[in-house]
Amino acid sequence: MYELFIAIRHLTSRRRQTFFSVLAVGLAVMLLMWSQALMVGFTDVMYEKTVDRMAHVTVEPQEGEDYIHLYRNLIENINGIDGVVGISPVLTGAATFEYKGKNKNVAMQGIQVEAHDSVMFINDNIIEGSFRDLEISPNSVVVGDALAEKLDVEIGDTIDASFPEANPVNLKVVGIYNSGTPMDETLAFTSLSTVQDFLDVSNVVTTILVRGNDRERAQAISEKIDTFGYPASGWKETNPEIIQTLKIEGTSNAITLGLIIIIASFGIVSTLFMVVMEKTKEIGMLMAMGVSRRSIMMIFVMESGILGLLGAIMGVTVGALLAIKMGSYDYGFEVMAGISSINFVVRFQDAAIIVLFTFLLNLIAGIYPASRASKLKPVEAIGRD
Amino acid sequence: MSEKYIIQIKNLTKIFGDGVEIKALDGVDLNIERGEFLAIIGPSGSGKSTLLNQIGILDTPTSGTILLDGVDVTEMSDKKRSITRNKQLGFIFQYHHLLPDFNALENVMMPLLISGIKSSQARKTAKEVLAEVGLADRMDHRPNQLSGGQNQRVAIARALVNKPSVVIGDEPTGNLDSKASDNIYELLRKLNQEHNQTFILVTHDVRMAEKTDRIIRLVDGRIAGNSKNST
Ligand SMILES: Nc1ncnc2c1ncn2[C@@H]1O[C@H](COP(=O)(O)OP(=O)(O)O)[C@@H](O)[C@H]1O
Ligand SMILES: [Mg+2]
Repeated sequence: MYELFIAIRHLTSRRRQTFFSVLAVGLAVMLLMWSQALMVGFTDVMYEKTVDRMAHVTVEPQEGEDYIHLYRNLIENINGIDGVVGISPVLTGAATFEYKGKNKNVAMQGIQVEAHDSVMFINDNIIEGSFRDLEISPNSVVVGDALAEKLDVEIGDTIDASFPEANPVNLKVVGIYNSGTPMDETLAFTSLSTVQDFLDVSNVVTTILVRGNDRERAQAISEKIDTFGYPASGWKETNPEIIQTLKIEGTSNAITLGLIIIIASFGIVSTLFMVVMEKTKEIGMLMAMGVSRRSIMMIFVMESGILGLLGAIMGVTVGALLAIKMGSYDYGFEVMAGISSINFVVRFQDAAIIVLFTFLLNLIAGIYPASRASKLKPVEAIGRD
Repeated sequence: MSEKYIIQIKNLTKIFGDGVEIKALDGVDLNIERGEFLAIIGPSGSGKSTLLNQIGILDTPTSGTILLDGVDVTEMSDKKRSITRNKQLGFIFQYHHLLPDFNALENVMMPLLISGIKSSQARKTAKEVLAEVGLADRMDHRPNQLSGGQNQRVAIARALVNKPSVVIGDEPTGNLDSKASDNIYELLRKLNQEHNQTFILVTHDVRMAEKTDRIIRLVDGRIAGNSKNST
């Protein structure tokens, strides 16, 4: 492998050029690695704030039915599925809430507090009172803060709930929650039995919500539930726009930074062109010594590849360290809603892909100046003495 | 015939230029014996370098044939040319054209490495040849740390290291003072006699040319004189 021997010697002999070429690629790669870590971290936070707060899988009544009958059986079956960590049967009905002359149409959701918290983490959102009281005192309700404001109710007040064909009921406010979503104005929680009485049904629910140990398992879980005869859909199906948004942002980010690396690699190409010009006589002499055109080509492609690889490894390392350092830093103020540190996630696979991409890119970029070198005619390259 | 002659040149013509044509070689016929030490002389622009370049397969002639050891080099593929240059031919130019990033030993090793010989073996052989040209103590110097004459000796060692059957020199001492050139010529002559390799040298130095086996005189791309020197 004398080609590699020559390539490496060329690089070590012109240290300054080598240093700046590696630096240029290194900086671009560092930026890409750093921002990839930021992007992945940001995506994680986005998921935590959205997907992780919604049901991973939603099970609905069979075709043509209003309710899921015999839901306890179904829950037992779902409980047997690998990776399921929370199951919540929910009965939802429409109701009109009235308090001191103020009305509001709401969705009244009957839940089992423990079960629902295991899927939706509702207890995290309570700002006054508690969800647990729903099961302690009969005919009680937890309302969103926006709804409370609209009706002008406080803890301890009693709301009249009614709806055509439903059994009117008085509900005592035992808690107020804030989820930060529009639901806060339209969704009220009661116990499952309260809604069953209100709708005059028994032993039925309208949906079963499921949480898996990993959001990516949602698809597998929902497919399994389908086989029990109930239509189930994962969060990706129910909220396709989330995936869409994150994908677009991730892609445009990668494209921008990929371009920066391409530009840095062009720096290497132009440096290599200069080297080929400088070394024309040498290339001629190598040919006179019997180096084939293919090997001349290889020497210069290798030089480009080595520069790219060094730059990539350096850039990935520094970028990752920077991300880790910045990620563990507490900024003391809110960078994003509710968090005072920036979440960076450095993944080995990202580093590997970036290194591979940069290396290949530089190999390809090196082909042009290398083929120029290989096409020199020996007599002309050596020149007339 | 081909046993006796290492090189047989027939009706070799080389024309340069697209617009104004320059006939650098005009129907050259020349046979060179194995082990011969040949001088090519002639005025500047007479086609000496062009002839050497064709023999060294660094260029392709416009017409005519060159048989090297019985094989027509003008018909060779690119790959075959590389291999032939590496194994059968050694080049010495007016300027040494050593690789500036490599020391003397590495420069001499290079033809061996190119031919695929292991680096340890190449190192050993290169050291021997460097010692033969009198540079045993300068092996780890780079070209810019050596004098003109020393560099030219390294270039000679490099040209000889693969034991080529033909060594080509285009004014190999043209850049040296007369004392250094004398030394180089003596060295070349000694190597020629010891290894029975064929040497073809272009020179301006008539005094040197007279010490060779035969002098070929080129004028306007034609052989104008072909005289054997008595020894
Ligand atoms: N690459 C070239 N392009 C055009 N003309 C050339 C080229 N090489 C040599 N010549 C011409 O061919 C003739 C012979 O040149 P050359 O072989 O270099 O002569 P010498 O070595 O005897 O001085 C000269 O007229 C020279 O100008
Ligand atoms: Mg000449």
